[in-house]
Amino acid sequence: MRIPDGFRSCALVAALLAAACDAPAGGPRPLTVGVSFEILQTEFWVAALEAFKEELGRRGLRMIQAIAEGDANRQIEQVQNFITRKVDGIILVPKDARACLPILRSANEAGIPIVLFNRPPAESDARSVAVVADNFALAKETVAFLVAEARRTGTRRKAMIVIGDLGDINAVGRRDGFEAAVREAPDAVEVVARVPSEWNQEKAQAGVVNAFQAHPDIGLIFTSSDFLLPSIVSALKSAGKYRRAGEPGHVLLGGFDGDATAYGMLSEGYLDATGVQDVDFEVRACVQAILDWREGKEPPATILDPGFVIHRGNLEEKAPRMWGARVRKP
Amino acid sequence: MTGDATGAAGPPGAGWKRLLRPDLFVLGLCAAYAALVGPFTPGFFTVRNAENLLVHALPLFVLASGQTVVMITGGIDLSMTSVLALSSIAGAWVMTPSGPLGGGPAAVPAALALMLLAGASVGILNGLAVARLRMPPFIATLTAMTFFSGLAVWLTQSRGIGPLPAGFNALGRLPGAVGIAAAAGAGAHLLLSRTILGRWLYAAGHNPRAALVSGVPVALAVALAYLFSGTLAGLASVLYTAQGGTGSPVLGQRLLLDVVAATVLGGTSLFGGRGRIPWTFLGVLFFKLIDNTLNLLDLSHFTIMMVKGGLILTAALLDTLRNRILESS
Repeated sequence: MRIPDGFRSCALVAALLAAACDAPAGGPRPLTVGVSFEILQTEFWVAALEAFKEELGRRGLRMIQAIAEGDANRQIEQVQNFITRKVDGIILVPKDARACLPILRSANEAGIPIVLFNRPPAESDARSVAVVADNFALAKETVAFLVAEARRTGTRRKAMIVIGDLGDINAVGRRDGFEAAVREAPDAVEVVARVPSEWNQEKAQAGVVNAFQAHPDIGLIFTSSDFLLPSIVSALKSAGKYRRAGEPGHVLLGGFDGDATAYGMLSEGYLDATGVQDVDFEVRACVQAILDWREGKEPPATILDPGFVIHRGNLEEKAPRMWGARVRKP
Repeated sequence: MTGDATGAAGPPGAGWKRLLRPDLFVLGLCAAYAALVGPFTPGFFTVRNAENLLVHALPLFVLASGQTVVMITGGIDLSMTSVLALSSIAGAWVMTPSGPLGGGPAAVPAALALMLLAGASVGILNGLAVARLRMPPFIATLTAMTFFSGLAVWLTQSRGIGPLPAGFNALGRLPGAVGIAAAAGAGAHLLLSRTILGRWLYAAGHNPRAALVSGVPVALAVALAYLFSGTLAGLASVLYTAQGGTGSPVLGQRLLLDVVAATVLGGTSLFGGRGRIPWTFLGVLFFKLIDNTLNLLDLSHFTIMMVKGGLILTAALLDTLRNRILESS
């Protein structure tokens, strides 16, 4: 029987791989931490990756990195590669709370400490440490500041929230924090628009423009991430409502993250407040958790970053802790 | 029609020109790349890495097999990523403990059937749009991709569905994944090389007008190609979903370029009439080999993207050069 040429070629490849598998895997190596990010789509993630590089370097640890480009399956593959390289710890920004569970189990099986940065996993029997911002509390506190500003101006404001990707638990926490704050202030705020963005600037902009057409008198906006601010600014400019605090017609504007755009807008008076994730705290906590785990200690399953609200009143005092202030664009 | 086009062995080239055949060419690329980069790549030559490489190449191979069949007809299927997502959430919805069959013995078989059915349904819609309504494949499948991706997100409100049964998740690992991918690849290969439909597909892609005059039911063949591609995308969704352990409405959103690149790297023509499943396997292998080694090397994300693009471009240029040499002889 004639064997097709293509299959002969495939058999050759299999033989090549099988033969290669017996080769030795290398000598002594330094303590290495694999850092896997879901994506580097926003300044926050880029700043965090840089902070990891700095913190790991400061502690004499070696970092290898992998970015999954938003693909949960690719991230599984990349972390398997970390395990193949026998890393000493893994820091993970998961694409999805559930889809990361196979990754946690693989790391557990390999006996490698694994810490999730900024996004917690879904409930499971897999062991991990998650260092996360208290999205609910920080968003609620930020919106409470906007509500207080609304009360101070003496007018009841129509409000809009730009919601993130609800597959991301951080987006859910921020939305819930917003809702909790406005529920407590029916005298000052009425929510008229909830714009889904799926963490996409174009969708956010289209949604905000539509909301302004339906409700031209919107007077308060909260965005679930500062990286959507340019879309909101564009829509506000189109509607002739992009004004500094104190100017007539100023729309109260709040955000979350504390990026460079937010810092610039706060300094110029266009943004009223933003909830800042303390990237330095979160990064330090992740690395410390890896080291503690390796030493046999039992770090808690969740480490909360309380973050802080920054506004014009405390800008000078808090700016040194705002990561966006350090990466401010020229 | 050449030997390449029918999928049967054509007249063998003389001497070294045999090495320029698509399968041997891509195999040579794989071997040369592994030999050059492997020794400098920590952990590359290990059993664990070989398993990892294989397990994650298999779903892409299943997808690319469907894409090969469509490309042979001169078309392209851009809707594959939306099929991945739609099938993923449909199957997960059935299987998850809170789903209609959650926990029951019929959950996994029913979910598998639903996942394939979802893929086949999108496939036949594409096929009818291209073959009957004569819509350009690019537009028809792009529209399908947009619609069904949006549908998947809307149905789930962007939330993943899980947990999924352990029996289902095992399908994404060895040896289950190998069995599924081998069955899909063998089925596609036999379809193209051993059936009358396979000959119709090559004929339709090579010269549709001549094929029609010769009595080939071109519209039927093209429609069936899209049906086949959609079904294989549903099958690939089984593997991807099992590997992730979650039904995801955004599954494979960024895989389209990988599928097309791997298929074309394997020697399948974007203009139709040429392609074979074993070539596609080698194209996928080369593509994943690049991914794997670049990930194992200590390179930054931005460097990886640039190097990957450069390597694929180099491979494509070498392929063009190879074709020119063969044509000139």
